Amino acid sequence: MNPPDIRNFSIVAHVDHGKSTLADRILELLGAMGERDRRDQALDTLELERERGITIKSTPVRLVYHRGDRAYVFNLIDTPGHVDFHYEVSRSLAACEGVLLLIDASQGVEAQTIVNAYLALEHDLTIVPVINKIDLPAADPAAAAQQLEEVLGIPAEEALLASGKTGAGVPELLEAIVDRIPPPGGDPSAPAKALIFDSFYDSYQGVVLLVRLLEGSLSPGDRILLMASGKDFELTRVGVFDPKPVPASGLQAGEVGWIAAGIRDIHDAQVGDTVTLLTRPTQQPFPGFEPAQPVVFSGLYPTDSEDYRRLREALERLKLNDAALVFEPETSLALGFGFRCGFLGLLHAEVVQERLEREFDLDLIATAPVVVYRLLLSDGRELYTQNPADFPSRDRIDLIEEPYIRLQVILPGEYVGPVMQLLQERRGQIRNLQYLGRRVELSYEVPFAEIFYDFHDRLKSLTRGYASMDYTQIGYRPGDLAKVDILVNGELVDALAVIAHQDKAYALGRKIVDKMAEVIPRQLFAVPIQAAIGGKILARATVKPYRKDVLAKCYGGDVTRKKKLLEKQKKGKARMKSIGTVEIPQEAFLAVLSQPD
Amino acid sequence: MTPISHLYLHVPFCPTICPYCDFHVVRRQAGWVEAYLKRLLEEAGQLAGLWPLELETIYLGGGTPSFLRDRELAALVEGLRAAVGWAGEVTLEVNPGTVSRARAELWRELGFTRASLGIQSLDDQVLRFLGRTHSSRAAREAASYLRQAGLRLSADLITAVPSQRLEREVASYLELDLEHLSAYSLTVEEGTEFARRGVEVAEEDEREAFYRTEELLAEGGLLRYEISNYARPGAESRHNLGYWTNAFYAALGPSAAGHYPSERPGELAQRRTAATLEGWLRGEGGEVLPVSPAQYASDAAFMGLRLERGIDLRALGGRTGLDLLGSWPQLLRRPLEGGLLELQGGQLRATRDGWWVLNQLVTPLVEWSAG
Ligand SMILES: Nc1nc2c(ncn2[C@@H]2O[C@H](COP(=O)(O)OP(=O)(O)OP(=O)(O)O)[C@@H](O)[C@H]2O)c(=O)[nH]1
Ligand code: SF4
Ligand SMILES: [Mg+2]
Repeated sequence: MNPPDIRNFSIVAHVDHGKSTLADRILELLGAMGERDRRDQALDTLELERERGITIKSTPVRLVYHRGDRAYVFNLIDTPGHVDFHYEVSRSLAACEGVLLLIDASQGVEAQTIVNAYLALEHDLTIVPVINKIDLPAADPAAAAQQLEEVLGIPAEEALLASGKTGAGVPELLEAIVDRIPPPGGDPSAPAKALIFDSFYDSYQGVVLLVRLLEGSLSPGDRILLMASGKDFELTRVGVFDPKPVPASGLQAGEVGWIAAGIRDIHDAQVGDTVTLLTRPTQQPFPGFEPAQPVVFSGLYPTDSEDYRRLREALERLKLNDAALVFEPETSLALGFGFRCGFLGLLHAEVVQERLEREFDLDLIATAPVVVYRLLLSDGRELYTQNPADFPSRDRIDLIEEPYIRLQVILPGEYVGPVMQLLQERRGQIRNLQYLGRRVELSYEVPFAEIFYDFHDRLKSLTRGYASMDYTQIGYRPGDLAKVDILVNGELVDALAVIAHQDKAYALGRKIVDKMAEVIPRQLFAVPIQAAIGGKILARATVKPYRKDVLAKCYGGDVTRKKKLLEKQKKGKARMKSIGTVEIPQEAFLAVLSQPD
Repeated sequence: MTPISHLYLHVPFCPTICPYCDFHVVRRQAGWVEAYLKRLLEEAGQLAGLWPLELETIYLGGGTPSFLRDRELAALVEGLRAAVGWAGEVTLEVNPGTVSRARAELWRELGFTRASLGIQSLDDQVLRFLGRTHSSRAAREAASYLRQAGLRLSADLITAVPSQRLEREVASYLELDLEHLSAYSLTVEEGTEFARRGVEVAEEDEREAFYRTEELLAEGGLLRYEISNYARPGAESRHNLGYWTNAFYAALGPSAAGHYPSERPGELAQRRTAATLEGWLRGEGGEVLPVSPAQYASDAAFMGLRLERGIDLRALGGRTGLDLLGSWPQLLRRPLEGGLLELQGGQLRATRDGWWVLNQLVTPLVEWSAG
């Protein structure tokens, strides 16, 4: 295929603005939707995507579009809209020359619309604006087009109107793709140069790399070099996506596809690396992607400690398909061996856990998600940590800083009051308030710890779903933060310590000790559970002592029988952890650790 | 070999089966008692040949031994005397409904020195709840007949029964002028009628029964010497003390359990449990469990910590050849530190709060002896 006949583009938009549905109509029109696999959001192939009705992974598909007697190849990538999967979108854009930027005609421009538009501009991509869902009774295409112009500076008349539901406007959209999005450049006869923008593991083929050929060509039998890792392999197969991977005879400059080279060690192939020919390498590798910066951390532990190795393997394989995931081994007094994992947000964390459990058949325990704190120590050093257990003693800490974000919220004017109040409760400081027609854009600086967990849900329910949000990390700021220690029978339990803002420490401490007292089974003695900052006790609860546990009668004949009973009892104690003189079952730790503050 | 000084004899028959009972008992059926007596005396005859006997106590328990007909009991006593001799303390377990003035006198003549009277309560409402067929009046009468016949008297009391009034109950018992009392709080055992009915014991009632009964009985001169047993000083049951000091005892009758000395290598003792009635009648043997020195020591603690005085770790260590004073305090660190156990001059005893959870306290010792 000649580069002039290729169009590479991603569909981007705010979450739920109809990307995957519009992709369905395009696939249909271009005859790529077989009767057999006809279903809504056909490109959402992960079980989890189908269950949750959201896109998690970018999915490429190769299509052929005939206009007159000319055939064009479209490489379409459907991207996720949720803020946590931003990194997926940015890597997909590296494989494209243009984007279809969708705007829900009933919602208008929203937070992720803006983010995605800027992302496309950063990549120098052509933006084709599409006002979507025009079939909706509440659709107001004119208002949406006007916002496009006002907020993003995109002329209103450039906007196409479409409905992914009815298919209206889709033929015109196909024309616009050919006419407006430039074909890829790249010299087909230059040394091969392909960018790895994603990957996955296949038990037969090993690591499969998703590539965009920037120059040259690749065919089976070629000896390839992965430039960053320095490893070389023989290409066994290459192919394209229909959207399942199907083999092809070769890939040319400008094309998007996959390659496999029997790569078994997943460390040899990294997303962002450049593939070239061993004997005839390109001079200038692709610069690579900026690594994703995890912002939320949580521990993942196998419920069965035997599964630790399998969990490591699963994480490594999943990372091939989720470049934003980071992890390192961690041990916990309460939970044993596991991994501390970094995520781009809470949804990302949930998705990773679920994928590990489903795709790798694991049973996992996740600890409550936390952010990374920055500690300035009295000896002048600084320490970044998400683990309260790593905090030095109070007198060795000069200052605790927490990550802040700039938060953009777009919402109808009538909800501004309650949302501002919510943001104040979350320790936010207003930076800007701007009217976008009948809507308002609020800009806040707020501690990330106050936002990542349940803010989005609260925002949605306060505004009947009409508000949208986006945020960017803006660095660390001092916070009136304290480490809340948990003491069981007077002994510190590291695994249970949490970081909290002074104003909220009491309530949090209360909640934890009550929970502990409820879940720890009765003990030999009454056991006090305390929450404390420094030496100051904030809250206290008590685990009750046992009920009577002694045989009323014990004569000659009872000995053997009762001894057997006692031996049975001890089996239940295997999963107990000893904290000083108190035995605590693993479940009790879990109840606290997996409960977000 | 250490001679055996205690003998337990199991009589498995009861007139009716009580709703909380989990003992091995059957209702009397034609021909069974004869067969039972025949087999029992055979077994008694073999006993003396197997182990050295120097009996200090004999206990006829059940079941309801007093439910045997007079001539059956007389034959049993006669056969027993011939086979193994007699002892200084011989107790008969008695059901109030089976006592008359004449029978009490007969039992005394047959050589019984002590009666254990299964009263359970002196409150008719409680008795009905417990499914007992006798009235409180019958219980009082039975007690007075037994005392008048010259038998030393012990009685049973069940506490923590729903709707029972502990103070009134204890006051009634004290009027009986007992020298010994066993007070058990109601336990709903699996598989019993009470368990099926979903009867539950309130934690508060249980607590009151456990701590308050002791105070009330002490006022009447009955002192707690074991978790569930009270006596006037000197009137403790010597037979039961044998169990709680982990002494050796022989056992006769179906499903009866004995504890015998052993000189086999690695064994300090053997526990033997006879087959249940039908098997036992056919002469089948039961279970034999070897007891290692460590198991002997943990059994001794399991039983001995039930006693007010506790156990002498030095003596027990000497008996088993184990350094218990060296190893046990560590195993028992938590309860020792927490005041549930006390160790003084080698004497280890449980406090009242320790008794409350004694199973938990001895579990580490049972584990230690098993591993
Ligand atoms: N009425 C109407 N509903 C639509 C249209 N397009 C999509 N929807 C509905 O909008 C919801 C979201 O559609 P998706 O296609 O999954 O949206 P998306 O942008 O891919 O969502 P994410 O990938 O999760 O960001 C679904 O319930 C669709 O049925 C449309 O043109 N008209
Ligand atoms: S009399 Fe005693 S042995 Fe017989 S059934 Fe009742 S409780 Fe059980
Ligand atoms: Mg989608």
